[in-house]
Amino acid sequence: MGSQTGATAQDKILLLATESCAYPGADSVGQAHASYPANVYVLKVKAPVLFPEKFYLDCFRKGIGGIIIMSCGEECPYEGAYKAMAKRLDRVYELMKEEGLDIRRLRLTAICTVCNRAFLNEVNQMNQIVHELSPPVQAP
Amino acid sequence: MSEPQRAKAPDAGEQAKVGVYICYCGGNISDHVDVEKVRERMETVPGVAVARTNMFMCSDPGQELIMEDLRQGRINRVVVASCAPSLHESTFRSAIARAGGNPYQYEHANIREQVSWVHHGQAATDKASRLIAAATGKARTLTPLEPLRVTARRHAVVIGGGIAGMRAALDLADMGVRVALVEKTPYLGGGVSRLVRLAPTGEDAAHLVTTLARRILEHPGITVHAGSAVTTFGGYVGNFTLGVSPVPGACAPAGETWPGGYVPGKGVLVPPSPDGGAITLETGVVVLATGFASYIPRPGEYGFGENAEVVTLPDLIQKIGGLEGQRGGTLVIDGRPIRSMALIHCVGSRQIPGIHEEDANGHLNEHCSRVCCTSAINTANAIREACPQTSVYELYRDIRTYGRGQEELYAKASGNRVVFMRFGADQAPVVQRGAPGSGHPLKVTVTDQLTFGEELEVPVDLVVLATGMEPGPVADLVEMLKLPVGADRFLLETHPKLRPVELPIAGIFLAGTCQAPMDAGETCNAASAAAVKAVSLLSKGYVELDPFVAEVDVRRCTGTGACVQACLNPGAIALETMDIDGRPVTRARVTPALCLGCGACVAVCPENAIDINGWTLAQYEAMVDMIVSDAVCQDSGAVPETVGA
Repeated sequence: MGSQTGATAQDKILLLATESCAYPGADSVGQAHASYPANVYVLKVKAPVLFPEKFYLDCFRKGIGGIIIMSCGEECPYEGAYKAMAKRLDRVYELMKEEGLDIRRLRLTAICTVCNRAFLNEVNQMNQIVHELSPPVQAP
Repeated sequence: MSEPQRAKAPDAGEQAKVGVYICYCGGNISDHVDVEKVRERMETVPGVAVARTNMFMCSDPGQELIMEDLRQGRINRVVVASCAPSLHESTFRSAIARAGGNPYQYEHANIREQVSWVHHGQAATDKASRLIAAATGKARTLTPLEPLRVTARRHAVVIGGGIAGMRAALDLADMGVRVALVEKTPYLGGGVSRLVRLAPTGEDAAHLVTTLARRILEHPGITVHAGSAVTTFGGYVGNFTLGVSPVPGACAPAGETWPGGYVPGKGVLVPPSPDGGAITLETGVVVLATGFASYIPRPGEYGFGENAEVVTLPDLIQKIGGLEGQRGGTLVIDGRPIRSMALIHCVGSRQIPGIHEEDANGHLNEHCSRVCCTSAINTANAIREACPQTSVYELYRDIRTYGRGQEELYAKASGNRVVFMRFGADQAPVVQRGAPGSGHPLKVTVTDQLTFGEELEVPVDLVVLATGMEPGPVADLVEMLKLPVGADRFLLETHPKLRPVELPIAGIFLAGTCQAPMDAGETCNAASAAAVKAVSLLSKGYVELDPFVAEVDVRRCTGTGACVQACLNPGAIALETMDIDGRPVTRARVTPALCLGCGACVAVCPENAIDINGWTLAQYEAMVDMIVSDAVCQDSGAVPETVGA
């Protein structure tokens, strides 16, 4: 499943994974020894509602190719956080459009602690998008 | 909740000296990540004072590496790169504290579950390097924090009044913790009440249940809420609040027995509770002892539901009881002589995708239920010894009589001339009506591996299905308490060896068969373990919570109030007038005890004047910078390498 790529600067993918759902979900994928591309970097967050619009845009400016916000969805332990963040993302998408960034580079999803298949799907889909938008640098 | 105490002011001025410690995990990491190469790379990262490796960082010598560097003043921040932080973050924080460091000046890099177990070769080494570098980027800016200390109620709620719940409740109460035991039926006893003689010792189940239940009912430190269920749940370790309400229809039939009396198959009837209605329990810890459910065969599975002569092993045990009055001849059940009977093992256990049929919810029980082999053989021995004219056939896939004294039962069965036949998972025995005139209502056909695949036909009067253990019906509690559930649908401990009765949710413990199939002895072991863990948590009278809550930089705050509006827990942040540089100004102030630590306030502050301690925005930015940086390793330029899952 999946391929291992030597990551290029443009195709690094950040996963903002909630500590109570998606982060243990990523660990669960590891426990299952299910391989996925190595350009994926998981950052543990308490709740992604912490990040302002600027954080996402800065990440893209720094060269991050795609960001998946892996939230708890309806299981969110912070009541109202998911809604507040979804609203913020609408504004982030507007700003991305203004800057000419393809909005498919940023995706919000919910991943549970044992959602291995969903996790791998999300990662692979974002990889396809990132590769499509910025083709891998040719090997010398 | 009491106001948390904050001991030390953050010491931000000190120069960061980060120690990086990279674990081989005995090959789990080093088989895929070139750990020494990563160490060399880390030595070049700004702010890193030392970088070391060890075969097992969690071992005493591994921890000692960190502690010695701290004691010698070589480092003041720690990054450990090893397994998932859920396993050993607390181990390393505690080592830092023991060496006099601040346990919160610590960052973890997860290079096993999120690197070596999912990536291979150069890509794994490079990703590990970037992740650890990112962790150092965060660690450099970590300030010392003190845990939030909150008072813990010296009280436990035990959910479930079976043998696990009773054992845990007694152990807790004997150690001076007040206990509320919540049981949804009117009886104490659970699954053991449905048994008669416990293998392998032959202990009387009724006596065991009665002894425990009487001690519970007489114990001044235990209140039993029978016929009740938990309906609401809130709070956190040390300060949980549970709503408990009567279960509609959960009352014993009038005149069935007297309170305190034992009803076979049900347990000891609990006297009605004086409060009766819905109540609220305030507690420090919760012990889950919700038990298991017996597998109920599908209609038609081995003829179940279609033939009255096909029963489950739990049903047979209740029907024959202690075999009173059945001595020396043929077993008689419901007036019918049983001259020949077949016990079929692994019914509803060890199910294999593609061979066995899923239940209505698409589930298969792929686990071994562990207790059924011994239970079936124990029953066969009892029948053969009491009723030698009854022939007993055991049809099994594998025999797993694994515990002390259980193998002896298996050997005894041979001595008792129980006949064993072995079938393959894909060659299940077939139960059919017996041929007219055969004198037996049923026949079982089996391809017997012990006679090298011979097809044998056994005429029988009774077929007994050794049904397995399934997770109990606790979906409501799983939802309410956000409990982790394993692939087998039993409740899932944090770690099977390191934290075997704990959950990731602090203050909630597992006791018994809610966690996995266990026999009565193992269940009591687990329950006592849970009780001791719970008592040790409550023993200090307070619990410490991670101090990851919002804090306002009053020098930057301009009092816009955006954080107050964004706050998801009203009251956690408020605008206050305070005196700064001799001028009264309006600034935001956080009440740490109420702050959820979600960070909703952080994103909206136009002045970047509020942050979550230990999880600041600047720290995330530093991590991203290190991930994209080529300082520790160059991007190799895509060399795709397909790897099997």
